[in-house]
Amino acid sequence: MENENILDLLHKAVEKGENLGVNFIEARYDDLNLTTINYTNEIIKQSSSLSRKGIGIMAYYQGTPGYSYTPELTLEGVKEATIRAAKLAKSTDSRNKIKLDFDSIPAIKEKIEVKVKKHPKDFEFADKLDMLKRGVTAIKEQLEVTTTIGLYGEIYGEKYLVNSEGTELYWVPLMVDIRMGGVVISEGKQSQSFTGWGASTGLEFFEEKETIPEITGTNAGTYCKEQLDAVAAPSGKTKTLVSPQMGGVVVHESFGHLSEADFVVTGQSPIADRVGEELGSEHVTIIDEGVSPYGGLYLPYDDQGIKTGRTVLLEKGILKGYLHNRGTAKKMNSELTGNSRAINFMFNPIVRMKNTYFEKGDLTFEEAVEHVNTGVYAVDMSGGQVGLDGNFMFNCSRGYLIENGEVTKPIKNTALSGNILELLKYVEGGTKEVTIKTGYFGGCGKNGQNGLPVGFGGPDMIMDKVLIGGAQ
Amino acid sequence: MTLDEIRDKILHIADQTIKYARDLNIPAAEAYVYNLSNTNLTDNKGKIDSRDGLTQGIGLRVAIGKQVGFASCTGFEKETIKSTLKHAHSIAKVSPENPMFNGFVAGTNVAKEGILDPEILQLDPDSMIETCNLMSQEIDLSDRRIVSISYGVNFSFGGYAVATTEGCLASSLITTYAANSFSVVTEADDRKTAGDFVQGREIKSVEGISSNGLKKALNSLGSKAFGGSEDLPTVWEPRESAAFLEFSFINCVSGSSYVEKSNPWGDKLDQQVAVKELTLIDDGQHPESDSGRAIDAEGSPKQTTTIINDGILKTFLFDKMFGEAADKATTGNASRGGFFGGIPYENVPNVGPNKLLIREVGKNLDQQISEIDKGILITGTPIGLFTANQITGDFSITTNDAFLIEKGEVVHPLKNISIAGNYFETLNDMRTIGSDREDSGWPIDAPAITYNKHTISD
Repeated sequence: MENENILDLLHKAVEKGENLGVNFIEARYDDLNLTTINYTNEIIKQSSSLSRKGIGIMAYYQGTPGYSYTPELTLEGVKEATIRAAKLAKSTDSRNKIKLDFDSIPAIKEKIEVKVKKHPKDFEFADKLDMLKRGVTAIKEQLEVTTTIGLYGEIYGEKYLVNSEGTELYWVPLMVDIRMGGVVISEGKQSQSFTGWGASTGLEFFEEKETIPEITGTNAGTYCKEQLDAVAAPSGKTKTLVSPQMGGVVVHESFGHLSEADFVVTGQSPIADRVGEELGSEHVTIIDEGVSPYGGLYLPYDDQGIKTGRTVLLEKGILKGYLHNRGTAKKMNSELTGNSRAINFMFNPIVRMKNTYFEKGDLTFEEAVEHVNTGVYAVDMSGGQVGLDGNFMFNCSRGYLIENGEVTKPIKNTALSGNILELLKYVEGGTKEVTIKTGYFGGCGKNGQNGLPVGFGGPDMIMDKVLIGGAQ
Repeated sequence: MTLDEIRDKILHIADQTIKYARDLNIPAAEAYVYNLSNTNLTDNKGKIDSRDGLTQGIGLRVAIGKQVGFASCTGFEKETIKSTLKHAHSIAKVSPENPMFNGFVAGTNVAKEGILDPEILQLDPDSMIETCNLMSQEIDLSDRRIVSISYGVNFSFGGYAVATTEGCLASSLITTYAANSFSVVTEADDRKTAGDFVQGREIKSVEGISSNGLKKALNSLGSKAFGGSEDLPTVWEPRESAAFLEFSFINCVSGSSYVEKSNPWGDKLDQQVAVKELTLIDDGQHPESDSGRAIDAEGSPKQTTTIINDGILKTFLFDKMFGEAADKATTGNASRGGFFGGIPYENVPNVGPNKLLIREVGKNLDQQISEIDKGILITGTPIGLFTANQITGDFSITTNDAFLIEKGEVVHPLKNISIAGNYFETLNDMRTIGSDREDSGWPIDAPAITYNKHTISD
């Protein structure tokens, strides 16, 4: 469908909604293309090319939202969705005790296109498969594996937003990703590895030094090999050097979600009503950002059409604010932060993170290891879970002992757990280099919207009293 | 639209899609047509969010011999379907051969359909508000220990159809209803959570959901530190028992991981993998379960399969491709979407459980507690279950929802503890399998179970 037709449909939805007596309408159109290749044991276990296209309508009635979506890109289909959204908003208003209306802002008319050298749409399926084959060859050069895994993922497309203020926004999401993994089950020994990440760029990302498929495959093989002779991590509360990816996940899952204002306005977050309080040590500054100088996810606008900025959540341990959509920002008398995101047209935007990371410290890596002296260097994780009270548990899938101020033996898979609100008080420093990771695989899950691309990272952070679960 | 009309519509679209494939000279094709209307309402301490919509699309597999391509599209628009077929065909042409692939499901063969409730089609936003009102009427908010109570109501209806160039044309319909309540309470520095729910294929009574959840949360207040590290018996309430076993069984019962040699039970067929009291069944014909359907996600009839009988591993679960790769027949376990959900038509079939059921044996939860001299009662789903090592079976998880048992009595709630052990060892170290299996909300239902020993620490 031509752009003008889409814009026309979205404007018709806004007009229809306003005629139904609601106060505000946001009409979104997504046309996303997703390609995934799962190359397991050197056959294509699964490959898919998905076209995900449709319109979502958010209606606000006296601060009560109602959302409806449709795959039918016709005037009739869009009007029907608008009627349903308006009905939901009006019907549920009587029970809604937390009205999240918002102030009017000037309309935005912007078209953002990203220029990349090698857009994935210009390359064949076979080119992408070839990168996985190169990575798998590199795994096999490291050791004899029972199973090899190569994953490729890409997402690109178009997003439109029109609202009652007259905003017309167009931008193009983009993400590419390669992961490699190995499994060994042999003679009583078992080990597995999985590594790699993605970027909001074109396929040129896989020509960079650290992310060419051969390096990712070599790393997967090396990590798998290390696990065969890994030692048990020491159990108990241990001083730990946490890598950017590990620390990034901890800060995202454990602290970031507690700072999402939809969770704060209901009083459910344990950090609600605590702005100005000291929640961490002086070494902890936590940022959430849409477009970061450290890389990660590229997110210029959120799904309410708000330009994403740099939000300081925690500054030198002091809680400074929360992540907002338009409604929670007004309710809490806060600046707009551009954190209202939906994974696709089938979902309403909710408060989500963008790139969430620890800000840099002033140590070199060597100084950080020396500071730990005896403990654990936690590098990669595979899975984790958090509770509403700040409790977390992550599986450290790659880590090393730190002995006498040096990184030494690889450790077996082990669990890292604790409570983020206690742990932040025991942060003793960070290194100077910040890295933000993002990707097509994994992503963030909330309210049924799973796999939303986010960025997370930081420097290597020194944390004391991390509970190590012992040998797994 | 009635359920019969929905069935006619999706069968027609599936059939038409195969005709388009033939028109395009595509040698072999499979169409998975999905159409589901869904409505959802949440009330988080008075903050209401609601959403509805039609999730509709087609997943298309195209094969040229053993070269397979997959593409999907939203909606049922004719030209979009045709272009998606061409796209899947183009992917198949450049894909390497998959030696395991031997064609799509041939012929039409259906099993029994589960319960369908046409009343669900009549529900609207007003009825969801009324349901929330009923749940909230059970709560006395004057109790200052209550931080928040949230409620949720969800219903859906629709179905899916599968058609292949090999002559399969079959469908299965879906009606679902779910309601839940979740409580957060606090006292001094203690913060506890608990919830309850109903779910099924019919409209259910929500009576008692919110009061049960709140009562459970309040009973957990006043927790004390465990203090130290000790190997102790653990007793798991039925729903927590199911959650605990879920993550070990998912990989171990999978025929795909068996074929791919990443299944730790790969060499354990006809061997003892658990205590002899343990029997595990996969029930694809459970009439009240969401998985009780006429066909699986590639058109094979669903069935009931005994995986572990008296502790002996008897089979793995298979779809058509992985079954044939293992010289076995499909067990009707093709699923689309994976454990974390996802949009079914956007996924190719893979092996997944229908409804795993642990056979009930002996004593109920209270009887099991009464037999413990010193141990731990687990009353909430621990965090970290996802982090268990599926290859080695090692796990270390934490929970804020546990009680100390002494001399057969529940003594007091505990602050956060960690529980460590090994799944494969603990399956052979079960003390008691209970008689009180419940609907867990997980793909497995289990009764209360007591294990002889896990390492407890704080």
